[in-house]
Amino acid sequence: MAIITVSRGSYSKGKEVAEKVAERLGYQCLSRDVILEASGLYHIPEIKLVKAIHDAPSVLERIRGGKRGYIAYYKSALAGLVQKDNIVYHGLAGHLLLKGVPHVIKVRIIADLEDRVRNEMRQEGISEQAARSMILKDDQERRKWTMSLYGADPWDSSLYDLVIHIQRFTVSNAVDFVCRTAGMDQFRTTRESQQKMDDLALASRVKAALIGLNADVDVISEYGNVLVFAGTDDRLARKIRGKIGSLISDIDGINNIEVHAGAPSE
Amino acid sequence: MPVIIVSSDSYGTGREIAESTAKFLGYEFIGREILAKTADKYGVSEARLTQALDEGPSFLRRSSKIRNRHLAYIQEVTLFELLKDNTVCQGLGAHLYVLGVSHVLRVRILSDPDKRINQLVRQQGVSISKAKKILDREKALQRRWSMNVFNLDETDPSHYDLVVSLSQIDSNEAVKIIKETVSYPRFKPMTYSMNCMEDLALSSRARAVLWEHFPDAKVQADRGTVVIETADFKWEKEKKAKAIKDMVRKIPGVEYVEVHVAGHLFPRGSLRPSRRAS
Repeated sequence: MAIITVSRGSYSKGKEVAEKVAERLGYQCLSRDVILEASGLYHIPEIKLVKAIHDAPSVLERIRGGKRGYIAYYKSALAGLVQKDNIVYHGLAGHLLLKGVPHVIKVRIIADLEDRVRNEMRQEGISEQAARSMILKDDQERRKWTMSLYGADPWDSSLYDLVIHIQRFTVSNAVDFVCRTAGMDQFRTTRESQQKMDDLALASRVKAALIGLNADVDVISEYGNVLVFAGTDDRLARKIRGKIGSLISDIDGINNIEVHAGAPSE
Repeated sequence: MPVIIVSSDSYGTGREIAESTAKFLGYEFIGREILAKTADKYGVSEARLTQALDEGPSFLRRSSKIRNRHLAYIQEVTLFELLKDNTVCQGLGAHLYVLGVSHVLRVRILSDPDKRINQLVRQQGVSISKAKKILDREKALQRRWSMNVFNLDETDPSHYDLVVSLSQIDSNEAVKIIKETVSYPRFKPMTYSMNCMEDLALSSRARAVLWEHFPDAKVQADRGTVVIETADFKWEKEKKAKAIKDMVRKIPGVEYVEVHVAGHLFPRGSLRPSRRAS
């Protein structure tokens, strides 16, 4: 009874590991489904969403916060899907998007660069130089993306509970590691941890609903009591207060909602 | 039987896990206790050996040469201890110089940052933000140390087979994971992997012997043949090659010595052994 996020680079067999873990534990395996869900929920063309969440934001986008909206939609869709538990998710930044939920197991699968280059050459029928350059570019893009949005380096092992270097193991060994970890008491879903997950999903939905106001807000929820932080801009806080009622009318589970200027304390 | 090398962002946590693993598996634990033996063997102070393992490079790099010499001695004693098999090694930087040996399992243990912060707050009476800064500085220093000495970033997960974070996984579970991992047939010693380990040990012994007079020598060993690369003025080449050969030939296990003296100055000696796949 847990949520497992598998972070992976290209050709690291992470997808295979995630699918086999889901199969062995009888969990649902999610990846692309999140894009489809977000696209359906927020009426955004799938292609736009894929591009927005794959490529690192440009300088202009960083200033304007252009990708913020897409990420908020994606997070909201992901949190909604994993809320029901018993999920293996392999895809974009699950370990960061679902941070703070105790029953989320964060796994990273890594592989040797040389092996990845060989696989890319075989798969795409390209030269070694081209394959290496493609893989390094892709890694760099992922790194920039995570750094710009979360200030975290996806290569930093401290973001994960388990990092498995697939080079010296079989896929089945890696599946054993993950399943063993999933069976540990500390990752078992409890009433409190499920409440945290529900609060995260609710806060993500509220944040996604406020994207239309072009506002970079922080949203937190505790037991359905939602706090919206509008930063230092008092006018923005007033604007949100005026419009929030209609924007969140279709979101279930909100006991109370307050809008404040400032930022949430850590 | 396998060798397990445990590395950690916290010496205390790494030691706790390594000792428990050794006890659980009935393996021998090799830790900083061997520094006393190293100090005796090479006639240096044990405190300086510990310092070489803990301290980052000095600003002016004046002490780098002495530190590298001490590390070469530690490396030699550690590698010969690891030839014994069924060992768990921790705290001696072995994850940075035991490379390319298939029966060696390399594990990195990440301590729980919250636990360490609380410990610092309690022990040193500092604020939480100050404690976080201390830990960040420690991490940066460790990274600089490994980069400076072995040209490897020890925080890079690709240097390990497995990285386990103790943020949520408890120590006992981490030990069980290591036990399970080491039982995989892949970590069973084979003749070739044992040969690789013996070659590493022999080259480290030759390097330690040469260090005092020829700190810039690069050493490689292959089944009793020791190849040394160094540099000197053209007119000194022969003299230097002979002196090196005389010193290395005396080492037990050395059958043949080959010395290449390049005719240029200032080559960089390296503590990092050359990588061999096994």
